[in-house]
Amino acid sequence: MKNPTFLVLGLALALLVTTRAAYVVDQAEQVILVQFGEPIGDVVTEPGLHWRVPFVQDVRRFDKRMLDWDGDVSQIPTLGREFIIVDTTARWRIADPLQFLRSVRDESGARTRLDDILDSAARDIVSGTELEEIVRSADWQVDVSQLADEDAAALENADLARPNKGRGQLERDMLVAASRQMPELGIELVDVRIKRINYIDSVRDQVESRMISERQSIAARFRSEGEGRSQEILGNMQRELQRISSEAERTAQEIIGKADAEATSIYGAAYAQDPAFYAFSKTLESYSTLGENITLMIDAESDFFRYLESTSSN
Amino acid sequence: MSDAKDLIEQMLNRPRRRGPSGGGPSGGGPSGGARALGPKSVLAGVAALVALWAVWSSFYTVQPEERAVIKRFGSVSGIADPGLHFKLPFGIDSVQLVATERVLKEEFGFRTQDATSDRSRFSPSGEYPDESLMLTGDLNIVQVEWVVQYRISDPVKYLYGMREPTQTLRDLSESVMRRVVGNRIGSDVLTVGRVAVANTARDEIQEAMDRYENGIRVITVELQDVVPPLRVQPAFNEVNEARQELERMINEATRQANEAIPRAEGTAKRTIAEAEGYATERVNRALGEAARFNAVLAEYRSVPDVTRSRLYLETLNQVLPKVGSVVVVQDGQLSPLPLLNLRDAQGLPRTGAPQP
Repeated sequence: MKNPTFLVLGLALALLVTTRAAYVVDQAEQVILVQFGEPIGDVVTEPGLHWRVPFVQDVRRFDKRMLDWDGDVSQIPTLGREFIIVDTTARWRIADPLQFLRSVRDESGARTRLDDILDSAARDIVSGTELEEIVRSADWQVDVSQLADEDAAALENADLARPNKGRGQLERDMLVAASRQMPELGIELVDVRIKRINYIDSVRDQVESRMISERQSIAARFRSEGEGRSQEILGNMQRELQRISSEAERTAQEIIGKADAEATSIYGAAYAQDPAFYAFSKTLESYSTLGENITLMIDAESDFFRYLESTSSN
Repeated sequence: MSDAKDLIEQMLNRPRRRGPSGGGPSGGGPSGGARALGPKSVLAGVAALVALWAVWSSFYTVQPEERAVIKRFGSVSGIADPGLHFKLPFGIDSVQLVATERVLKEEFGFRTQDATSDRSRFSPSGEYPDESLMLTGDLNIVQVEWVVQYRISDPVKYLYGMREPTQTLRDLSESVMRRVVGNRIGSDVLTVGRVAVANTARDEIQEAMDRYENGIRVITVELQDVVPPLRVQPAFNEVNEARQELERMINEATRQANEAIPRAEGTAKRTIAEAEGYATERVNRALGEAARFNAVLAEYRSVPDVTRSRLYLETLNQVLPKVGSVVVVQDGQLSPLPLLNLRDAQGLPRTGAPQP
């Protein structure tokens, strides 16, 4: 009865010692052994099964992967005194676990330090920069001629200059500024990026109002352009109408004139044979066309009177 | 190994024995349990349990859309394709399943609220202004909603490159989209630039993912609603209306012109035709009168005096009955036929006495 009990106890003890001596380093981890609070040996980065002195050495695990840092949203004035909301994000990793353990102890400690450092880096950069610089990038290139007319017109007064640095360079500046303090924290900062930039609410209202008035002026321009084009078309129409009618009139007059001339020449040719007879017969013709109840005024010397006398004496 | 009978017995008795004596090998209860079955049976039972666990924990299934990352003592030892697989038990091998074939997506500025029904319902536009509002290069504001579709192309990198690859994808997508939109004019983003924005964003997000080595492959970036901010939208509509108005006014004027000009052309043709009519008439009349004159002249020439008198008297006979009064002027210089004067002369002082 005694032997199996000892056997069981012995096995249990061996198992306990083994589990305390062996430890697993995950693919995602790196490990420092700590003995009575003092780090021992090198950083264990190789994943797999490892051994330590049981009960004496403690395992401190650190993430080996790239980690995400998302900063608080902060209001920062730009160089042009516009208040904007800036939200930054960064990637970092624990590059030197020993240093990391000594300086910030764990990730939450690291995050508070990162908050401070990155926030101040963002503030420094943003407050020394015009808003355009932050919004635009170095490959900024705007071809206004590509845009529709009204949009191009809306941009007439806008400053469309290429930024000196641009967003990418500013982000790199932030990275450089923040990275200066990283070695003493055992952290490698991979990148810093501006996640969001927006106007604060009051500025946003103003910008929206500006956009509204901009659009309204474009709309007004369209309307007056419509008016103008309409007038132009109507004017052209009027000109065309006058051209058509005057040309017709001219042609008509030419035709009439030609006919008159022809008639005149015909008459001339006929009447020239005996102008006296023509005048005589034409005079008579005229008399015969006189209306009713008229008064004749006759020269006493005229033929008419003479004949009249002779007829009335008849 | 113990025989099957022992094993079954062990299993049947287990619940009863568990409480007081403890199941683990290190527990080793000395009293009741040992007396009932003996240490040999205890060991056999433990061994059987361990065997069961071993069998249980050495199978795993990988679904068709998944890949399994196998780790031995925490270290990645391989990747398994879909199907049933074996591994070493007792947590020596552990398996993490990653859906590599599935197309995953992240939504920005909106959320699909109910994708199970036939028609997906989306949250109202502008629901997530923090995500969707961004500045354009001309410092205007646009509201952009987009979707990033991606796949996990490398499960090992996905699991061990970054701790939060999905969150990183979200952060990076927002950052990149704002950079791309900020690098363009607002009206460009709203109209012709959409495709270019989406493509540039996809390339840049992918570039970042490659740099982070997190195994994410971006398939597409799709822009959904790209609109001006809510408050500005009516003003944009107003521009559209004004543009319509412009078209309408031009069309109306053109219509008017199209109506008037053909009519004027018709009128012009009429004027010319009338003139031609007049011309024909005039010439014909001239020809006719000339012919008549010629004919009369021929006869007149044969007996001029008689004819002359005859014509004169005939005319007088014709005219005199109609004459109301005759005024004879002695030494007047009036032309033979001042008809208008004749008519007016009734009201004027007369220079001679009327004749009957």
